[in-house]
Amino acid sequence: MKTEALIDALARDAGPVRVLPPALWRVWGWLLIALSFAAAMVWAIGPRDDLADRLAEARFLFEQGAALATAIVGALAALKLTMPDAARVWRWLPAIPGAAWLGTLGLGCLRDWAQMGPAGLRITPDPECFVYIALIGSLPLLALILMLRKGAPLRPSWTLALAALAAAAIGSFALRLFHTQDAALMVLVWQVGAVALIAAIAALCGRSVLRWPGVAT
Amino acid sequence: MSPATEGAPNSGRSDSRHAALDSLMRAAQQGDRRAYHALLEEVALRMRRLVTARAPWLGQADVEDIVQDVLLSLHMARATWDPARPFMPWIAAIARNRLTDHARRYKRKQAFDAAASDLAEVFSTTPGQTHAEGVVNLISVRRAMSDLSPGERRAFEMVRLREMSLADAAERDNTTVGAIKVAVHRASRKLKRAINRDGEEGK
Repeated sequence: MKTEALIDALARDAGPVRVLPPALWRVWGWLLIALSFAAAMVWAIGPRDDLADRLAEARFLFEQGAALATAIVGALAALKLTMPDAARVWRWLPAIPGAAWLGTLGLGCLRDWAQMGPAGLRITPDPECFVYIALIGSLPLLALILMLRKGAPLRPSWTLALAALAAAAIGSFALRLFHTQDAALMVLVWQVGAVALIAAIAALCGRSVLRWPGVAT
Repeated sequence: MSPATEGAPNSGRSDSRHAALDSLMRAAQQGDRRAYHALLEEVALRMRRLVTARAPWLGQADVEDIVQDVLLSLHMARATWDPARPFMPWIAAIARNRLTDHARRYKRKQAFDAAASDLAEVFSTTPGQTHAEGVVNLISVRRAMSDLSPGERRAFEMVRLREMSLADAAERDNTTVGAIKVAVHRASRKLKRAINRDGEEGK
């Protein structure tokens, strides 16, 4: 096709477009969907019996707050990366709440060790964490992908990895509300590990999920 | 003719062009097809010049592939442009991204990256610029190239873009090394002036 013909075709096809709202607004919309789905799942599976006690604990609240912050900043960064004139620093910003999340769990490991000795740091298999996190993160991830596809796929692997990080962090956040597992090392290995694994898999799929039209792709 | 298309490219001086592109894109987002057509033509023209300057060894069909991909990408992403912000950094980011995609297909990518960064360094007087600004500068350079005399342009392309030696360039042009040197020097001075002028416009 000649370039002139393409220009004619694109101009003919172009009606008015609705400019995308700022990423910060869109991320709240996503959060509403993600948390509603997570709440429905927690309700369906049944919250843990000691939830009221846990909610009174500062440590639990810090860990949950950091997981939620990772989800929000991850989703915001993913949306920002699809805006061509956004600052490049966005891709690294989720590292801040992510580090806080790892930090709270790392401190938790130390405390478990101080309180219980080596028994506090035992790792036993808990693969269902991955299944639950993937299940609860699935709809939030799908919703976020639909939002991301309205943007520009400038950095597809990063974008999808951050989106999956956000969705899986929501999964992990919800999991703590029904899964009776509070040993920090177990949470770190099985839950944060599942989140990282899901983000890594998503990074590999980035180019096939988010792509430009045209001949180079 | 709508107000947006009045300031259409090719009619005004270069200093009004950045603002003209902004208003064309704004009108295009509101559904003005004529403004959109003019904008796409202007972007195609700039991209064609930039790509030819960056990769003089590319065939015409390959150059048009890149130009068309940038246009398709602009089309796909047009809802992501915030009309309150300038158009140039936005389109430069898209163009840079598509150029990178295409560069993967060619073996001479590295040689070409080197030439591109050399150009940005030679002609930019703005310290700490981003790569996207470099692309904008390259677009300015390409535009400024059309102001050079044919001899100056040829000498500049041979020595600075294709990295030929002064002696080879002189032989190719059937002239002396001194004459090539003078022509390259004059061309560099004119281009630097053009970059400074465009840089100040952007402020």
